[in-house]
Amino acid sequence: MANDGMPNTQTLRAATRTARAPRAMGSSGGVGGFAEARRKYPGALVVVEGIDGSGKSTQLYLLKRWLEIGGYRIHFTEWNSSPLVKSTTKRGKQRRLLTPTTFSLLHAADFADRCERQILPLLHGGYLVLADRYVYTAFARDVARGCSSVWLRNLYRFAPVPDITFYFRAPLDVAVDRIIAGRPRLKFYEAGMDLNLSLDRAESFRMFQARIQEQYDTMVESDKFVVMDGTMTVNRLQKLMREIVQKRVDLGRFAPKRQAEAPV
Amino acid sequence: MKRGGSHHAGRSGAKRAKRVAASSSADGSGSAAALAAHFHGIPLPGVKTEELGGSLIVVEGTDGSGRSTQISLLTEWLESEGFAVQTMGLRRSFLVAKDIDTLLEENAITRMTLTLMYATDFFDQLEHRILPALHSDFIVLADRYFYTLIARAAVRGIERGYLHGLYAMALRPDLTFWLDVSPEAAFEREFRKSHAISYWESGRDMSLSNDLFQSFIRYQARVRKEFRGFSARHSFIEVNGENSIPSVNLQLRKRIAAHLGIPRTRYRPSAALAHLWR
Repeated sequence: MANDGMPNTQTLRAATRTARAPRAMGSSGGVGGFAEARRKYPGALVVVEGIDGSGKSTQLYLLKRWLEIGGYRIHFTEWNSSPLVKSTTKRGKQRRLLTPTTFSLLHAADFADRCERQILPLLHGGYLVLADRYVYTAFARDVARGCSSVWLRNLYRFAPVPDITFYFRAPLDVAVDRIIAGRPRLKFYEAGMDLNLSLDRAESFRMFQARIQEQYDTMVESDKFVVMDGTMTVNRLQKLMREIVQKRVDLGRFAPKRQAEAPV
Repeated sequence: MKRGGSHHAGRSGAKRAKRVAASSSADGSGSAAALAAHFHGIPLPGVKTEELGGSLIVVEGTDGSGRSTQISLLTEWLESEGFAVQTMGLRRSFLVAKDIDTLLEENAITRMTLTLMYATDFFDQLEHRILPALHSDFIVLADRYFYTLIARAAVRGIERGYLHGLYAMALRPDLTFWLDVSPEAAFEREFRKSHAISYWESGRDMSLSNDLFQSFIRYQARVRKEFRGFSARHSFIEVNGENSIPSVNLQLRKRIAAHLGIPRTRYRPSAALAHLWR
């Protein structure tokens, strides 16, 4: 009775048959071996994950520059960037109307828009898509806010599974200090103030990030994260990242078409 | 709230609380399971169901099934019987209702995004309108519930298992009425009401037919089939919506009166609502 309407592996398999869901994200825990599953599109998806201040955005930026300069067919996308729900999210945040559930749903709607109109068409069109944060951000952050992980895993089932997920892991103090040093004031939801962890924003932020990092850690194996040591120097880390991308993604597919030889 | 065991006896105010206590002691352990039983499988974060009183009564049905008329009449009847009433419906949340209107007008939205925007609208109302009302012992009359949202998304090809999972945290209604009408009757009523058929009501985004009437009929027939599908699963009380308004209203009043322990079901609409009584 309590299972009424709950997702299960059978419905999951059924999901892979629908045209818009090339592969499912996996049920709770991400079991289902999607990393081995054959991709049904010619593109590839590389994502970075990690708490704020872990260095992931810097590293993805450098990866993007490397591929851009090389002329590869790439597209860069960010979490929470669609104009569609931006005004709603902003209104909800300003007036503090968001609950863990509506916060999560709004971000899912935003992601769905980007997924259907950007990510999936580009993957089908043979692009290498780079994503700064992906559904794992929702899994980590929304579970930290109290959402059910079973519910969340179902919610994002329409999302294509990444070819590589880099998880940047830095010690909490290092990451948190980077953020706090660079920001005059932490925002309400950003600091997890809705969770009533602490009245002090910096302290609340630290506790919230600790919870999120804990959630990321639980996904390392089930979701096949490539763990990156955020304490390494930027340059060494970037070299490592490029090596892994080269090894795991056939970059030749995204290389610029060679120009016909110029007539002599 | 039929699934928990104790069947309706009088006001449901204390019932939810009792049921939580009963089932958790029966389980020995899990209050989580008991909590989940109030929802469709997964408890809503941060909700204490033992504090919920009142009743959630849902009226479902396709466009033109007479739902809104019945809700108006029921509201007046319940208020005359001394019950405080709160209503809810689709696209009425403070958070996203306007945004959905805009998106629909612009027709610039994909079905997955629309599905999730409607879900946001639903849960915002559940958390900010329904639950507070139930906390205050109100009767909540829902002019459609998430069943319509599942039906609409399912006929557009989104997998049913996904959709049921999405709404697994929706509160279980105490009573759900389904006003069933044939697509032809629905068309006639809608056309009489507004002298036109809307883009979405006729499912024109689905390219079923270039003929508006055909498109409407086919679309509504598919939605109706979805409703048939969850009628048994969600204990729908089926009501023939093609019967006269007074006769449908009497059927609804009888069931609600039994549920709330109202001894009599006599009712005549006031002058303000007399025009609905035909």
